[in-house]
Formats: sequence, structure tokens, C-alpha cells
Amino acid sequence: MSEIQIQKEIDKLRQSTKFIIALAGNPNVGKSTIFNRLTGLGVVTANYPGKTVELNLGTADFNNQRVGIIDLPGIYSLGSISEDQYVARQELLNGQADVVLVIVDATNLERNLYLVLQLLDYGYPVVVGCNLMDLAVKNNICLDTEKLASALGIPVVPVTATTGEGVDKLIEQCANIATGPITRQARRPAYGKDIMDQIDELASVIEHQLPTRPYRLTAHALAIMLFEEDKDFQALLSKTQNGQNVLEKAKTIFQKLEKTHGEKPSVRLSRERHGLEGTITDAVQKSGICPVTLSTKLWRISLRPLTGLPILLAGMIIVFMIMFYLGSYLSTAFDYTWSQFVSPWIKIAITSLAGNTPVARILLWGFDAGIQAALSVGIPYILTFYLILSFLEDTGYLNSIAFLTDSLMHKLGLHGRSVIPLIAGAGCNVPAIIGTRVLTTRKEKLIACTLITLVPCSARTAIIMGAVAVFVGWQWAIAIYLIDLLVGIIVGRLLAITLPGESSGLVMEMFPFRLPSWRTVAKKTWYRMKEFIIIAIPIIAIGSLVLGFLYESQYLWLVTKPFSLIIEGWLGLPAIAGICLVFGVLRKELALQLLLSLAIIKYGSEVSNLLHFMTRQQIFVFALVTTLYIPCLAAISALVKELNWRAALAISAFTITIAIIVGGVVNQLLSLTGWLAHI
Amino acid sequence: MLSRTKEDYLETIFHLESEGLAATTQDIANHLKITPASVSENLKKLARDKLINHLPYKGVTLTKKGKTLALDVVRRHRLSERFLVDKLGVKWEEAHDEAHKLEHSISKVVGNKLYEMLGEPKTCPHGNPLPDADGRIKEVPSQPLTSFNKHDHLQIIKITDEEPKLLCYLATLGLMPKTKLQLEEKAPFDGPIMIKVGQATYALGKKIASAIWARKI
Repeated sequence: MSEIQIQKEIDKLRQSTKFIIALAGNPNVGKSTIFNRLTGLGVVTANYPGKTVELNLGTADFNNQRVGIIDLPGIYSLGSISEDQYVARQELLNGQADVVLVIVDATNLERNLYLVLQLLDYGYPVVVGCNLMDLAVKNNICLDTEKLASALGIPVVPVTATTGEGVDKLIEQCANIATGPITRQARRPAYGKDIMDQIDELASVIEHQLPTRPYRLTAHALAIMLFEEDKDFQALLSKTQNGQNVLEKAKTIFQKLEKTHGEKPSVRLSRERHGLEGTITDAVQKSGICPVTLSTKLWRISLRPLTGLPILLAGMIIVFMIMFYLGSYLSTAFDYTWSQFVSPWIKIAITSLAGNTPVARILLWGFDAGIQAALSVGIPYILTFYLILSFLEDTGYLNSIAFLTDSLMHKLGLHGRSVIPLIAGAGCNVPAIIGTRVLTTRKEKLIACTLITLVPCSARTAIIMGAVAVFVGWQWAIAIYLIDLLVGIIVGRLLAITLPGESSGLVMEMFPFRLPSWRTVAKKTWYRMKEFIIIAIPIIAIGSLVLGFLYESQYLWLVTKPFSLIIEGWLGLPAIAGICLVFGVLRKELALQLLLSLAIIKYGSEVSNLLHFMTRQQIFVFALVTTLYIPCLAAISALVKELNWRAALAISAFTITIAIIVGGVVNQLLSLTGWLAHI
Repeated sequence: MLSRTKEDYLETIFHLESEGLAATTQDIANHLKITPASVSENLKKLARDKLINHLPYKGVTLTKKGKTLALDVVRRHRLSERFLVDKLGVKWEEAHDEAHKLEHSISKVVGNKLYEMLGEPKTCPHGNPLPDADGRIKEVPSQPLTSFNKHDHLQIIKITDEEPKLLCYLATLGLMPKTKLQLEEKAPFDGPIMIKVGQATYALGKKIASAIWARKI
């Protein structure tokens, strides 16, 4: 979405609403839970050009008035260091919001106040929502929100997002500020006298030199940004003569400051802010001894090397088991429902329309067998995985994994934080590839993207589970993951050594486990599934139609011929599997679904049994090759977008080569040993 | 003012201490090029004046009072070096021995004037930090965060990384000199460390953690 489009969306929001609230806050303070509470469905997600960071736009109803809400990315401070900081600040600078609602974590007030103070420094009208009040009480933290309000000079509302307590009050306070007489006027935080004097001195020079300022900023706000040594604003000011005069003045002030305090202005200002945070927090908060809760205990255990690594391993086994049992349970249920209740009606409908002609049979391929295949192998496993991923995300366990695996990731040229896109890649490669934008160096991005394409996404898991685990045995399903893991580690290590450039360090906030709300988990899972169903089902239907046409017209064998040397000779797969692999490029699970459609067409809808025309060894090699070879079209286009054509092609060619080599070697090995011959 | 001999002793003990060596009688004797017998005689006097702690067979350490006086000598020594090099053009490799003679005759008043005239230098010509007029040395002994143990209470002394963006980002999180923190966890295999600052907890990769230097409190 381009900047103009995002502007359009916001304009639309402005026209249809009374006032607009910008929702800001640190990451993990329950900001999105509050956003979900306030807004209904129909949320618009928008991206800044070239940025991954999303902005959610929604509306809420309050006293028969429509209120627009812009959900800013979660940030610790405003600035231009990271993308999310940049997007949040840009949105505020563009002056869309009438009031800024900052959600703070009541259990971690001191650090959260930084953003509040910064917003007050910039002169924005701010309302503070103190979230996680229930958790604060549990942790023996007593927070006087009225005292906090008077200390900051702005409204402070205690809320508990998970129950919705206080949310109405929050909107009411925002409405008071947004539609009341006071706009863009809030009390400035009181720092030390010397730095306040210096800020004022610079502000008066700005007032004099720059009567019209960028983004209609106050002179004070601009002075603060120069104190923060913001590169963007330095560059902006250096374009005009008057701006250069201001920068010159700033330089002399900063030199004086550095001489007296021995610190850069940005560090000095940060120190002042942290000092004030501490003073305010001490005044408004009384904390007793935080009881060690079960979740904190678990969290600690999950981080300790001796216990954390076994827990990680056990966690992976549990995830695998849930995938296997719940996935296959759902698979059978969906499959049964379709073949019993839907499939007969479709058959009647199609045969009554087209009789028993080849056309009818092709239609049956697409609309009966194709969809049944999607229901029995794609959706159940992908749904299960997204459910698990959303749950883990909300508990905070992914951060523990990042912490434990940081050093391993360094060996692969990455850092711990990149383990999160890698894990997300197990859901779907596409968002994971886009998620690599948070990585800072080109080298890290290239390695992460390559490794993500080797992570078995839920579609490939669907194949591994639906084919290997079911027809060959669960040990063999695990074997595929292990082979894949080994290939990934070797590839990562090789790239880390050979690619030029450096990898950066890790700074990540850690927080104890939280029990996720099932509502949020379900909502997240649904959003992710919706996208899958909308995109995948039509592709599967069309793919099945094309395959049906090729099959019915006997062209299929013609198409498979050129591949036969590799497919039949080296990999030992039936010719038909080759064509399915080609279709798999559209969507990975299509490879298996088409094979299954074939089985259903051939042997009837009751038997979705691959063993009718493939040996166990063939199923294993087929799944292994699908796991490794070329990422699906959507993933390739994401690679093009994130890296470039050359890199995307190189990664595709590279993975095909690996798949053919590894698949072939494993096939030859299995033939030699006969391990899979007599199960 | 102390006698010249006492000043020499204090200075020597200070240097040996800051190199992490125990100042034994033999070490001091080697340093000052005199016999151990006369060293032990003089150390007794210093101990009587409560300038050093004399631990039999282990060596000596400076008391708080002794350290302040030693730092004052060091300051005068390093100021003299600067003066000799910057103003008189003495070669810097010769400055040390010349300064050794000069340092004893500089009073506090002259020392401060010298400091001003030399443009408030931060170090001696050899790059060693200059103690301030109150006898405090700016350089506090510190180690990278990675070298501490779990549960250690620490205070950040300096951040050695020069990348301004990183410094700025760490500062917004409150990670800057003087910040107090606790080391909560160390990941296996040379992995990241977890620290607690106030109520917030962060994981820091090894690279960043080794750029943050701290001391135990």
C-alpha cells in the first residue's frame, strides 16, 4: 500500500468519524487487546511503503459517535532507529490524531513512562491507560493512578484489557480532550533546570529563525528532537540557511553541555527522562514483594540452560504430537463430513448438468476431489499449527526460545531474534520472509530468507503428516524433519562463512509468561486461516481442474515424460508424482492433494489411500523432495520483493538442486538397505 | 605536604596496585631501585601514618587516605608530563623521568593553574587518565557484562561501542553509564545474557553485552 493509499484510508476514517485516537504503547502491554476491544471486525490493515510495520485502522462507537482509531506499532520510544519507531512517529507528525492514547504496563510503569514523557515533550495531547492493573495487584504493586495523573498533568485511567474494565472510561477521557477546548497543549515534563534552560534557549532560536516549522511542530518540540540528535531532522534543517543557523546554535549548546556533563545531549536527555520516571514512579507506586507465581517459575525454568533446552525439546515433541493427533482427527472428521454429506450432492449436481462425459469428470476433479483433498490434508494441519503458533506467541515462550538459541543462530550468521521468523516460517513462509525486514544487515536477511524457504511450512507439514506419518509411520515423519534440520544447519553455516558482511547483536525485552486469552488466540488463528482459505481453495480447485483435464485427455503422460529420468530414475517416484511436484509450486500441499485427488478418482471417495499406487519408500521420498524443493509461488514473489529477482532465482535453483540430490541419495540408500520395503 | 620519599612510595604502590599486582617489599624495592631493607623500614612509617595496610608476607595496599594522596601525586606527575611535552617541547619518552623530579614541588594552587593553562587535559601524554583536583581518577575499573556471574548486582561504567544509533537506543531503554542492573541469566554456549533494569528485563546478545562494561556493587 502506498503512502497515498494509506492517506486515503485515514482520510476516509476522518470523514466518517468525530475524532481520531492514535493508540501508542510499548510492545507487550496489551495494546492490541485494547484495540480489539474497542473496535469490531472490519479492521483495515495498512503498510507504509517499503515498511513491514503495519498500521491497523478501526472505528469504535462511543455515545452514539463514531471514533476512529489508528493502532501504532508497539515501541519503547519515538525516533528513527527502527522501522516501527519511524512509522509511529511519522503517523503522529502527519497530525492525523486528535489525541494520543498511551497504554502503559502497570507492572512496569517506570520504563513505560519514557514514551509518555517523550510525547509530552513533543506537546501532544496525551491520555494514559494503565493496563494490566489485575496483574499489578497480583504482583503486590499498588499504583495510585490519580496521583500519577496529577504528577503528569494528564488524564490516567486504570484498565484491564482482558476483562474490558475501564475501557469505556478511557474513550470518554479521550473524547474530553479531543473535542474539548484544550488541544495540543499539555504540561511539559520538568527536567533539571540546566537542561530545561538549554532547551528553552534553543527553542527561542528556533522560534526566531524558523517561524514556519516542518509538520507544524512547536519550537520546543523541534528543540527536543535536536537534543535527541535525530538524524532525520538534522538533515531536514540543513536544507535551509535558517535551519543551518539553528543547527549551528544547537552545536554550541551541545558542546557546552558535553563539557559540563561529559555526555552527549541525547544521552543527557535520556538520563533526565529516566530520572523523572524514577521520581514519579516512586511517588505513585508502592510495591511489596512480588510473589513468585507459577508462570514466573515456569518462565525462569524455561530460560535456565539446564532445564530450558530439555523443555524446548519436549515442547517440540508436544507440538509434533498435537499436530499429529489433533491434525489427523480433524482430517478424518472433515474428510468424513465431505464424503458423506457434501460430495454426493456435488456428484448429483454435476452429473445432472453434464452427464457422464469427460467434462463432468474434469469438473468432479476440481469441485469434489480437489476440495476434499484440501479439507483432508491442507486445512486440518494448517489450522492446528496456526492455533499452536498463536498460543505460543501470546504466552511469550517464543522469546525464551530466542534467548536459548541465540548462540546457535550466531553460528548460522543470524541472531536469536531471527528464530521468530524462522518459527513463523513453519506456519507459512510468506509472512516469515516479509518478517525478515526487522533484521538489520543484508547478510542476515539473505541467510534468514534462504533458511526460511527450507523450514517446512504448514503445507509441507500437512504432506509430511498426511502422507508419511499416516502411511509410513511417525518415526519416518520425524526423520524428514531431522534431515531437513540437518540440511538447514549445513546451508546456514556455509552461508555464514561464505557471505561477506557482519551480523548484528540482540536486544530483546523479556517478560514472564502470560496466560493467553482464548478469544485473542482464536481471533488470530481465524485471521490467518481466512487468508489461507480465500487464496488456497480456488488455487486447489483450479489446479485440480487442470490436472483433471490433463488426466482425462491423456496429455498427462506427455507432460511427465521430460522429467521421467529424474523422477522415475533417480528419485524412484511414479511419473504422476512428477506432475504433482510441478503443481506443488503453486501451493506446496497441492502436490499431495493432487496425488490424493488422483487416488480418489481412481479408487472412489471412500479410499483416500496413497498405498494403492505408491510404495512406502516412494511416499517418503516424495514428501522429502516436496519439503526441500523450490518454495511455492507466493514465497518466491515474497523473496523477489524482499531481496531481488536474482536472489529469488538463486534460492529457487539452489533448493531444487538440494532436493534432487538429497531425495535421490535417500532413495538409493533406502533401496540398498530395504528399510522401507517390508513394513 | 608529604616528604618526597613518601610520595614516591605512595605513587609506586598505586601503580603496582592498579596493575593488579600485590605491592610486595621486593616489588617496591625493584621499582625505586633501593634495598628491600630500607623499603620495609619506610613501609612501617607509612603504616603508622595510616596510609597503607601492611599485611605481613603478602604485601601492602593503600588505605583510602593513602590512595587520595597517591592520586594527587599521580595528578601532579601527569600534569608535569603534559607541561614538559606541550609547553617545553621535551620528548615524551623523556618526560616521565623529568616529571618525576618536577612533581614534588608543585603545590595545589600551581597544579590547578597548570591544569587551566594546559587546556584542561584529560590524560597524560601517554594516554593515562588524569585524576581531578580532588584526587579522583575518572577511570573506574570495570569489566564487560559477559564476565560476571548470575545474580550479580552491577552498575554500568561505560559503553565501549561507538555506534551512535546503538548508544542512543540503549539509552532510551535506560542502559547507560551509572545505571544499576542485575544479571539474571546466562544462555548456554556463550549465548546472550538476561539483565533486569528496574522492573524491565532484557536479553542482550553477546556482542552488545561485551560492549557494556560494569562493576559489581
